[in-house]
Amino acid sequence: MSTAELTGDLRSRVRPDRVHGSLYTDPDVYARELERIWYSTWVYVGHTSEVPQPNDYVRKHIGPQQVVLTRDRTGAIHVLHNRCSHRGNLVCDADRGNSSSFRCPYHGWTFANTGELLGFPFNQGYGGAQAKERLSGLGAAPRVESYRGFVFASLAAEGPTLREHLGAAAERIDQLCRLSPEGEVELTAGWVRHEVTANWKMLVENETDGYHPQFVHSSIFSISGSGIGALYSDKSTAVTRALGGGHSENDLSPEFRRLGVPMGWSGTPESKIPDYAAAMRATYGAETGDEIMINGSPHVMIFPNLFIAEIQLFVIQPVAVDRTVQHVTAIQFAGAPDLNRRLVTQCVGSVGPAGMLLADDAEMYERNQRGVAQRQPEWLDLSRGLARERTDEHGFTVGTATDETSMRAMWAHYLTLMDPA
Amino acid sequence: MDDVGVVASEFATVRVSLDTQGNSPRLRLEDLRSGAVRFLDALELESIVWAPEGFLRELLDPSRHRWRDDGSEGCGP
Repeated sequence: MSTAELTGDLRSRVRPDRVHGSLYTDPDVYARELERIWYSTWVYVGHTSEVPQPNDYVRKHIGPQQVVLTRDRTGAIHVLHNRCSHRGNLVCDADRGNSSSFRCPYHGWTFANTGELLGFPFNQGYGGAQAKERLSGLGAAPRVESYRGFVFASLAAEGPTLREHLGAAAERIDQLCRLSPEGEVELTAGWVRHEVTANWKMLVENETDGYHPQFVHSSIFSISGSGIGALYSDKSTAVTRALGGGHSENDLSPEFRRLGVPMGWSGTPESKIPDYAAAMRATYGAETGDEIMINGSPHVMIFPNLFIAEIQLFVIQPVAVDRTVQHVTAIQFAGAPDLNRRLVTQCVGSVGPAGMLLADDAEMYERNQRGVAQRQPEWLDLSRGLARERTDEHGFTVGTATDETSMRAMWAHYLTLMDPA
Repeated sequence: MDDVGVVASEFATVRVSLDTQGNSPRLRLEDLRSGAVRFLDALELESIVWAPEGFLRELLDPSRHRWRDDGSEGCGP
């Protein structure tokens, strides 16, 4: 389908209360999503705690694009395309390392970790060392910014700033960081890569879909004795909130405040982590420390690829129209070793290789992808809670904990990027 | 000879040891991928420590070391 045809057609496929199934399966739509979303807006790449030392680097991704997140010797952060400027080979292969320079294994072209071309073997073939002046270094993301250590990149040279892109979602990152006695998150627990045969938007929609947990996750809730499942009901005071910019959250904090138990949200009673609780009260004061520990951690989907789910963090990576990789790690808080140990254990149970939570969702994603390939009915319904949506005191659209408010908002934002009016 | 360890990345693998066979100690560097060895004495090491940033950057150009095409000799296995 031509660009012009797709433009007119997209708006007809996204309605206020439903979306067309082809949006999850159409290769033309996916190709446009890469250009208009993944290679244009701000995309989460990595965290500064993953490159703590000068010359540290980690391999990351922006959708299907392989990139390298580096910290140079001066401490500056770079996001480089993992592609040799000579013959296009992948330059870095290891997931992480420490090196001031990268040497392509194909012909030995060598680049600084800033992307600058340092040289190549037998340079007389190019007329000598001065040829470096006319030859290219590694490609670099034109815009790289970080917020509270969270590094985002945009492959577009111009556009909204990261702060404008994040909008209210930045406050959710603040909320997360406040749970550290030192105000910092560390992503140092290692990553699990989990590939599913499903379109990436299935995952984005699911992350703040409060309608499915009581059904899909009932087994892990019952085995673990978690009370979280019950919070996703119409009797709950929790809400689903559209934060603008395609970002959304399930805000369970009204329930946690009603219960008033420090760390009640986490599944770890305070008695198990006395050092953490003491450090929080020492840092923030007894009253504020308790408020932070009662209020809990965010459950927020930052469009298009960063999902912070209380104790774990997911990075969504589309690799094809019907294939998506989720990169998952346990969130670690600076200055909280006793809490961090428990968070790793909890995450192994929920999203580890044999974890139950992620496996539940993955099964639904893959069934969903196979389902939307069927011919009838053509549309997916998004109307749950449409009639009872309201605007909260901050001007955000909210629904009950089980309403599809976040999905509708995501699709509205999607259209502004894919088919600007 | 005291083995210090192996400094390795995906790009290079070098064994580092302290050689004491001479009249004063020196560092022995062995490129484990080729077998090439270079010794660095105390003054050479101090010079590297104090060398300007551009010195190492220049040295990282492959045409300045193993893959130069001027025919000059250097360290080798």
